[in-house]
Amino acid sequence: MNDIQLPAIDYAALLPMLIVFGAACVGILVEAFAPRGWRFVIQVSLTIGGLVAGLVAIIVNRDLEITTIGGAVTVDGPGLFLQGAIIILGIVSLGLIAERRLERGGPFVAEAAHAANSDGDKRQEREPGATEVFPLTLFAIAGMMLFCVSGDLLTMFVALEVFSLPLYLLCGLARRRRLISQEAALKYFLLGAFASAFFLYGVALLYGYAGTVSLTGIREGVLQSEQSGILLAAGLALLAIGLLFKAAAVPFHVWTPDVYQGAPTPVTALMAACTKAAAFGGLLRVFNVAFETTAWDWQPVLATVAILTMVVGSILAVAQTDIKRLLAYSSVANAGYLLVGVVSLNGAVGSSLFYLIAYGFSVLGAFAMVTLVRDSEGEATHLSRWAGLGKGSPLFSALFTFLMLGFAGIPLTSGFTSKFALFSSAWDSDQSVLVIVGVLSSVVLAFPYLKVVVLLWLNPPGEETPTVSVPSMLTRAVIFAGVAVTFVLGVAPSFLLDIVADAGPFLAK
Amino acid sequence: MSLSQWVPLVVLFTLATLFALFSVTIAPYIGPRRYNKAKLEAYECGIEPTPTPPGGSRFPVKFYLTAMLFIIFDIEIVFLYPWAVAFDSLGMFGFVEMLLFIVTVFVAYTYVWRRGGLDWD
Amino acid sequence: MHPVIPYVLAAMLFGAGVYGVVVRRNAVLVLMAVELMLGAVNLVLVTADATMRLHTGQTLALFVIVVAAAEVGLGLAIVLQLYRLRRSIVTDDVGAEPASAEGEEEPVKVVA
Repeated sequence: MNDIQLPAIDYAALLPMLIVFGAACVGILVEAFAPRGWRFVIQVSLTIGGLVAGLVAIIVNRDLEITTIGGAVTVDGPGLFLQGAIIILGIVSLGLIAERRLERGGPFVAEAAHAANSDGDKRQEREPGATEVFPLTLFAIAGMMLFCVSGDLLTMFVALEVFSLPLYLLCGLARRRRLISQEAALKYFLLGAFASAFFLYGVALLYGYAGTVSLTGIREGVLQSEQSGILLAAGLALLAIGLLFKAAAVPFHVWTPDVYQGAPTPVTALMAACTKAAAFGGLLRVFNVAFETTAWDWQPVLATVAILTMVVGSILAVAQTDIKRLLAYSSVANAGYLLVGVVSLNGAVGSSLFYLIAYGFSVLGAFAMVTLVRDSEGEATHLSRWAGLGKGSPLFSALFTFLMLGFAGIPLTSGFTSKFALFSSAWDSDQSVLVIVGVLSSVVLAFPYLKVVVLLWLNPPGEETPTVSVPSMLTRAVIFAGVAVTFVLGVAPSFLLDIVADAGPFLAK
Repeated sequence: MSLSQWVPLVVLFTLATLFALFSVTIAPYIGPRRYNKAKLEAYECGIEPTPTPPGGSRFPVKFYLTAMLFIIFDIEIVFLYPWAVAFDSLGMFGFVEMLLFIVTVFVAYTYVWRRGGLDWD
Repeated sequence: MHPVIPYVLAAMLFGAGVYGVVVRRNAVLVLMAVELMLGAVNLVLVTADATMRLHTGQTLALFVIVVAAAEVGLGLAIVLQLYRLRRSIVTDDVGAEPASAEGEEEPVKVVA
């Protein structure tokens, strides 16, 4: 037993994740020891401090390209970019999570253990929300960061669980509509556990095939292994199911509308922006590093999934009557466009990264605006309630219209530039069928967005139109960031396109 | 692989089955029968059966809380076994890493303790 | 030795788990079925280790065990919470009612 080689650890490469994980652990200690009244202030500053410090560490690392801790972590250009994207989107969505002016005590429940509508539950309605959400968010963000730079499937699995478990909990913590919130948590949890079992079985089969779980090892194993090819094919398929579930691709999308609707809106925003970035970061890495050499075998299957996702997502979005469900199906359709980027392999890595940033900011802005439309019951998410909001709240409606046009892919918005960049690089990678389907489905998808715009401006207000609340600086900053980035990336996308081009391909050795 | 390797195993299984059948069938005929209250109660684990709450046979929610906490902290120990086996060759590095791991678990433990997760009443 | 028997057994276990998740309507039993699937994973990992004289799979199996325990702890908490709300953990009932029915829920007396 004396042949154990201690792995070399490059602490600088791990620093961003260590900072965020450390801040999360400190956050738990704060929950344990800080007096109740102080917790909110301490937690918000700790969370923002931790995330900003992590971002600084990523920026310092920007030229790093290294595989460390025995191959468990591969820090490379796209990995660092994704980490930075997740942290930035996380900081922005934190503005929604920490908002306490729209609703007395914030969007989260104070004591989740109280049964809904019980006496204890009525008493806690006026209490400030639980501050555990901040460490949970930090754990989720740190897990996503690790997920994007995992060098082997074991690390990837652990990271997957580290970011999934807090999200399951966060889904069930809504202050209003407790029941559908907890049902969303249960659905997300059961299906998520099911999907991670598939992921693991895929990992196990690939291990049986290649004798290693490292992505580069599998890449080499594909060329050398003497094991049956069935192990490889089955392993790859099961692994992909686990990843596509997190990415909300059809036919693994069924949880998306219910969970997006039931979860507290700040958590929905976090999932739509950050989880999407992490899931596609993982997908891009797995397919580009481990399975690039077997691309002929899986590309047709994944292309079919991409087509299904784009078509089903955009068609079902048309039929929605709830703004959160509409955004959920739009996120499914956007997962389809991103899958086009995955199928196109190295040719489209840069434009996929660009798309993740552009979509993330737009969707954060949109969900931030959803939190503003309220009546006495909380958020009014049914579309019929939004009719005629343009009369009373022109600024709100104008900004929301801009974001909707951005989603629809109108020029001068990031929705146009990101789709254009993605589809043109996919076209160059000879994925012309996918591009045609993508363009057609985005035309279909424009319809529900424009329907919302028409509803806002042209329809007469209903009998009890909800009011647009005035938020604190936090939500204002989120909306501003969402709208501003949607505009800036639409007008002057070149600086970000340069950055993603500099990020280069995934490190595959 | 030849089948002969399995013969001892088959013999053992047969003997075990026969012995079990023999003792179960013969015991009621030759054993003494002296019943008391304890013997007539349903056997759970050798300890007095847990008193069930009035109005139904559901367990208090505290049991589940404690059981869940126990499972989570108990399973963490799994990581200690490989470390203990390879302790000599891992040396100081392994020791420090394990210390860090235990500190992390302890953070979670502190939270549970401070927030009353371990209080029975 | 070709390890076909353990692989087939693992596939059957995994299949039984999938069947359980799809067919069972009790959230706790669904959770147990998922655990069965994870058991199949561990069997594959250990088999691969035994046939190729490796160690990675055993390590992975440990991680699977620990993560599965964390998952069960969290899952039982969510299931328990939903049970206290609805007195039912039948997954078919979850989300069957529209969100507006929330106010009509009977307050559940918690036995604790």
